[in-house]
Amino acid sequence: MSAARATERLIADESELISRILSGERNLYYDLIAPYEHMVYICAFSVLRNETDAEDVAQDAFLKAYENLAEFKGESKFSSWLTRIALNTAKLRRRKFRPELYQSLHQSISEEDGEYIPQSLGDWREIPSETLERQEVRALLADAVRRLPDIYRDVFVLRDVQNLNIAATAEILGVSEGVVKTRLLRARLHLRDWLMPLLKSSRVFSRQAFKRGTNPWL
Amino acid sequence: MAMTCKEVWKEISEYIDDTVTPDTRRELELHFLYCRHCAAIVDGIHNIIVLVADERTFALPAGFSSRLRTKLQNHL
Repeated sequence: MSAARATERLIADESELISRILSGERNLYYDLIAPYEHMVYICAFSVLRNETDAEDVAQDAFLKAYENLAEFKGESKFSSWLTRIALNTAKLRRRKFRPELYQSLHQSISEEDGEYIPQSLGDWREIPSETLERQEVRALLADAVRRLPDIYRDVFVLRDVQNLNIAATAEILGVSEGVVKTRLLRARLHLRDWLMPLLKSSRVFSRQAFKRGTNPWL
Repeated sequence: MAMTCKEVWKEISEYIDDTVTPDTRRELELHFLYCRHCAAIVDGIHNIIVLVADERTFALPAGFSSRLRTKLQNHL
């Protein structure tokens, strides 16, 4: 089945599920949201950088989606609609309860239209996959993502963490594909500049070399 | 004419996503052959993407699904 066909099928299945939930088969809501638990959690975690808050917000977002299910018109994918709810719920929570997280720690970050000059940091060709076994490295990565300004982080999380394509990312965020590409580039450059010196110093590398030119998603 | 570093930086993201044209890809790879700085940027970004996409980086907390069900049960 082609990807487009599979998407059509998924949308049809979800529409059917939603109709039945709204008709009273409420327990089907678990089936509807099961594929998206991780996605909603990541959206919340990337904003809040705290497991407890993120789980709480994810639960609220699923609840909010349930309470507003009748308003979902099927003009976008259910996953896009749910992602928007998750991101908005997380940002509201952050403003309300964790204002200290509202200020990016990287205030020197360039404006979107400005020019960004990547730092010269030397080579880093090995993929340090073993470093992920260490909790502090995972925390470092998540913290760096959380510290990106919203406009960059939202794009980065949807595209590079959730692995959505450019079109889906643009649809969820309500911006053009060109804007997504510009913000994605900026987010990637910033993260590379922040993280590379920290991760290189961890000195726990795999010797598996990255073959330049290969797509990381394949 | 060969690409400058600034021109390369604008294309780096799409190069990694494999959405550049074959001509642009050739020009970029030619540039990477003699520009260590730009080659290092591509490798660094690629590594960051591999790491954040790893399911261990943003793993669901243990018991997440069952706690979610419990919470929803009170409202469905």
